[in-house]
Amino acid sequence: MDAVLTAFGLVFDPSVMLVILGAAVFGMFVGAMPGLTATMATALLVPVTFFMDPVPSLGAIVTATAMAIFAGDIPAAMLRMPGTPASAAYADESFLMTKKGELDLNLGVNVVFSALGGIVGVVFLVLCAPALAELALNFSSFEYFWLACLGLTCAVFIGTGNPVKGFVSLLIGLSVGCIGIDPAAGVPRFTFDNVDLMSGVNFIAVMIGAFAVSELLRGGVALHQEGHVIVPQVGNVFRGVGGVLRRYWVNFVRGSLLGTLIGALPGAGADIAAWVSYAVSKRFSRTPEKFGTGHLEGIVEATSSNNSAVAGAWIPALVFGIPGDSITAIVIGVLYMKGMNPGPTVFTENPQFIYAVFITFILANLIMVPLGWAAIKSMKQVLRIPRALLLPLILLFCIVGAFAMTNSGYGIVLMLIFGVLGWFMEENGIPVAPMILGLVLGEMLEQNFMTSMIKSDGAWLPFFERPIAGTLGVMTILVWLLMMARGARAALQRPAASGGGLAGPTQESSGASSPP
Amino acid sequence: MRVNDALLGVVLLLLASAMIWLTAYFPSFPGQDYGPALFPRLLGAGLILCALLLIRRGYAARRQGEAWVTLAPWWSRPGLVVSFLAMPMAVLAYLFFAETLGFIPLAFVLLLALFLWFGERPLRALPVAAVATLLINWFFSDMMRVPLPRGLLTGIL
Repeated sequence: MDAVLTAFGLVFDPSVMLVILGAAVFGMFVGAMPGLTATMATALLVPVTFFMDPVPSLGAIVTATAMAIFAGDIPAAMLRMPGTPASAAYADESFLMTKKGELDLNLGVNVVFSALGGIVGVVFLVLCAPALAELALNFSSFEYFWLACLGLTCAVFIGTGNPVKGFVSLLIGLSVGCIGIDPAAGVPRFTFDNVDLMSGVNFIAVMIGAFAVSELLRGGVALHQEGHVIVPQVGNVFRGVGGVLRRYWVNFVRGSLLGTLIGALPGAGADIAAWVSYAVSKRFSRTPEKFGTGHLEGIVEATSSNNSAVAGAWIPALVFGIPGDSITAIVIGVLYMKGMNPGPTVFTENPQFIYAVFITFILANLIMVPLGWAAIKSMKQVLRIPRALLLPLILLFCIVGAFAMTNSGYGIVLMLIFGVLGWFMEENGIPVAPMILGLVLGEMLEQNFMTSMIKSDGAWLPFFERPIAGTLGVMTILVWLLMMARGARAALQRPAASGGGLAGPTQESSGASSPP
Repeated sequence: MRVNDALLGVVLLLLASAMIWLTAYFPSFPGQDYGPALFPRLLGAGLILCALLLIRRGYAARRQGEAWVTLAPWWSRPGLVVSFLAMPMAVLAYLFFAETLGFIPLAFVLLLALFLWFGERPLRALPVAAVATLLINWFFSDMMRVPLPRGLLTGIL
């Protein structure tokens, strides 16, 4: 209980509140701006929060991401341009409602159900994380090895329609993670006697590149192709929202639960949660024919889902150090930088920080309603900010941010390399998220693998001897076999046809800036 | 820029082979078969497997008429290509000139150049570039103590 009180004291400190408020406004802005994603918001925040105490820096990230995922709904409803990929699933549906003259109700539903969905996600985070942490205290290197394997496999499995390319991305990330001093024996690897490479690849710089610079590359080309946009007038957004809650509470509950679960699965975040929930809503609806005509039902379910996923993703990140999505992949980096290595021990050693994260999450979802209302009202001004000014400013911010991570040009070089690489990968249907997950988890995976190998003296059987390790191991291998069987069947049926299309909805990058 | 999967596969194959070849020079510990080379070798093997699958798939697509490299339509418009290259070029320019010129002059020039290229009016581009440069310098250099290069302004600031 002491820790909870300490946490309240930490969060409700005036300067921390100021940081949280600033982050909220920043998150709203980035989310509402088509083409800027929530992950990008997080990557840009890291250099700023680098020098802060743990609580304000985590608070800033929590608040900014929660706001950004909601704010993405606003331009989706007004202009059919999702502000973040997480709103893409129901952008068409929202815009059709607007065309029917129901913009006010639509926006009201988005802001209220985003906040409610977020709170459901937080409740599960608060309930599940400490319980899981207790269980995880008994884990040895065998369990962690399988857990990391399962997490990474999951990322490939869910995050892409093309497992081979997903694996390529993952393996690239793991290989890049090998650069530097090896975690088991302390031998420098792939460093070519370069001092910068000895310190390894700074993955915050990599993420600034992969999530922000690659987006800027796309944005630079799109700049010249944009016309003027007309923002419709907004009235009282909260009228009629209560009625929607009474009518569609099943959708709200189902969306929030599914969103939390999908968020907690490694590799899948808010965007996939929204797609899945929208599809589930349509599948179980009593009036599926109304979907695609400007119908609220799917919007309620998906908008609750994507915000609950934001909190759900923190469960594996805090308990096991395995990120649930690309945002928490960055968070794990921040946790390491702050010296609070994620894992069950954080819950016993620094419980006040964990409670502070919980409190900030609840707070963020509460202030989402008034701030969201303000964002809706000021949307006209936000969209008036010229992108010709915005994109170069973000670039300069990226350069300085990457520089601050290493205090040398090395960070900028990494940012540039991975910015271009990230752009190229997206162009070729290779998802970026598995690479980032591989880079973040590589060291943990290898360390646990090598420790286990040394413990078992090179034998494979001990990897399955402990009950939990055995279960996780068998599960992982089953998923691998399933994927291989699928791949083999697809290859036998039509070897040529699989070269092209990738499941569109699952890409983290946003074609969001260009309306279809 | 879409590259045929077979080409991607070949590049990956070469990179993975190079990685495995480099591990041959890692020190090994007597009496223990699993040293620092093991993990990269496993990854390399995985990459080679994926590369072979990609080559097979790309080759099949190629036979169906897919080009080796497909460029987006904007690549044929020089203005848009410059827009695409403008940002990486700006980063390279920063890397090369930051030490000699210093953050403030260089950031100002780069911002101004990008603003103007992307079609902003000079009257608005100039003040925004100046204010943004000073703000970022103040925030990172003064508040956060990030050692941004001073260059020309050494001794003045």
